[in-house]
Amino acid sequence: MSKTLTLNLITPQKQLLDALPVQSVVLPAAAGELGVLPGHIPMVVQLDFGSLRYKKDGKEEEFAVLGGFAEILRDSVNVFAEGADLADEIDEEEEKQKIKRAKESLSRKDADIDFELAELEIKQAIARMKVKKRHLG
Amino acid sequence: MESLRDIRQNIKAIRSTQQIMQTMKMISSARIRKAQEAMDNARPFAKKMLDMVADLKQEVLALPEPEEGKESWASRFFVNKTGDKNKIGLVVITGDKGLAGSFNAVILRAAVAFLKEHQDQEVSVFCIGKKGRDFIGRLRHKNIKIVYSSVGIFPKVTYAHAELLGEAVMKEFFEHNLSSVTLIYNDFKSMGSQRLAQYEMLPFELDHEVKKDDEKEFLFEPGVKEIFRTLVPRLMKANMYRVLLESQAANLAATMNAMDAASKNAGELADALGVKLNKVRQAGITNEILDIVNGANALNG
Repeated sequence: MSKTLTLNLITPQKQLLDALPVQSVVLPAAAGELGVLPGHIPMVVQLDFGSLRYKKDGKEEEFAVLGGFAEILRDSVNVFAEGADLADEIDEEEEKQKIKRAKESLSRKDADIDFELAELEIKQAIARMKVKKRHLG
Repeated sequence: MESLRDIRQNIKAIRSTQQIMQTMKMISSARIRKAQEAMDNARPFAKKMLDMVADLKQEVLALPEPEEGKESWASRFFVNKTGDKNKIGLVVITGDKGLAGSFNAVILRAAVAFLKEHQDQEVSVFCIGKKGRDFIGRLRHKNIKIVYSSVGIFPKVTYAHAELLGEAVMKEFFEHNLSSVTLIYNDFKSMGSQRLAQYEMLPFELDHEVKKDDEKEFLFEPGVKEIFRTLVPRLMKANMYRVLLESQAANLAATMNAMDAASKNAGELADALGVKLNKVRQAGITNEILDIVNGANALNG
């Protein structure tokens, strides 16, 4: 059995990781984090907002994933995420701004604000910030 | 004979129209790169997702039916034994404006042919693009109703548009018990050509070959039903997104080509008029010279 997993991370907008050989993956499954090593039993899991981490040659990389699915096969993991950002590229200040803006538009009681969208934006920004904090700490 | 002034004005008008067309061509070609990039980026998602669902096909078909005579949710999506044969759906994706050669005409012709063929069935139509909505809205047939329309999304298609469309199609499909949904749009083949694409998108056909792997027994977390409840709409939206992006790129390419041809024609027309202008002017001068010469001869005579 091979000692590596092939990791694909895809969002509707972009393929972020294309067949990357890694040693292990941690997924933000809906029921809690799920660690995957080569030879894992085939599985399909729903993903929550959270952190996706993988180890490649001893180094760990981290992504903030915004929900989606993962298909786990014995030698590969395909992650279909609604959205994903590399933790190193998340700017906390920017996320705070986003939350502020969304909250402002929520508090303005105009008619044509998409409440769901604004709430989703806040949730996503918070999820990204959490991952960033985790990644730094 | 036309006066010099008329011809000059004509040339000026043609030149300025040509300039507009050339600008439109430039705009399209600038946007098309972006559209193509978005399309290429979206392709793997839709494709890999299909692969995964194909892997799960056996699991879907093995799902127990809830009751005798009733079909499970996922099975309806893939097999659809219980859909009402008299109700079908049609998704038509056109552009928002003309100026793109036969881009819209090809689609609408196909749509009309489809509607004619199915005129005894109730057709729920989903229109993307102003041209399609206006055209089908004018048909006024008792069996044709537009249930969803969205205009002005090109050339800035986002995943959110695909979500809305996918949501609407799913809703109609399940609530109205449609037996199938057909999709008509333009496929982006190359910069030079688009191809009309028409296929049944629901029930979802899985003609993918399942990878030969006998240990493909999947665990599902949370449960297999919950997974399918969320996965299937996701799959469909991913597919819609890809289709919208294809249409968008195809539309831009068609606009670019049409405008290129049109500005070339305008150039030829203006050149021809230029020749005419010179001839008329020369004829005028010749006449004047003749007059003078004749007058001088008469005086000397």
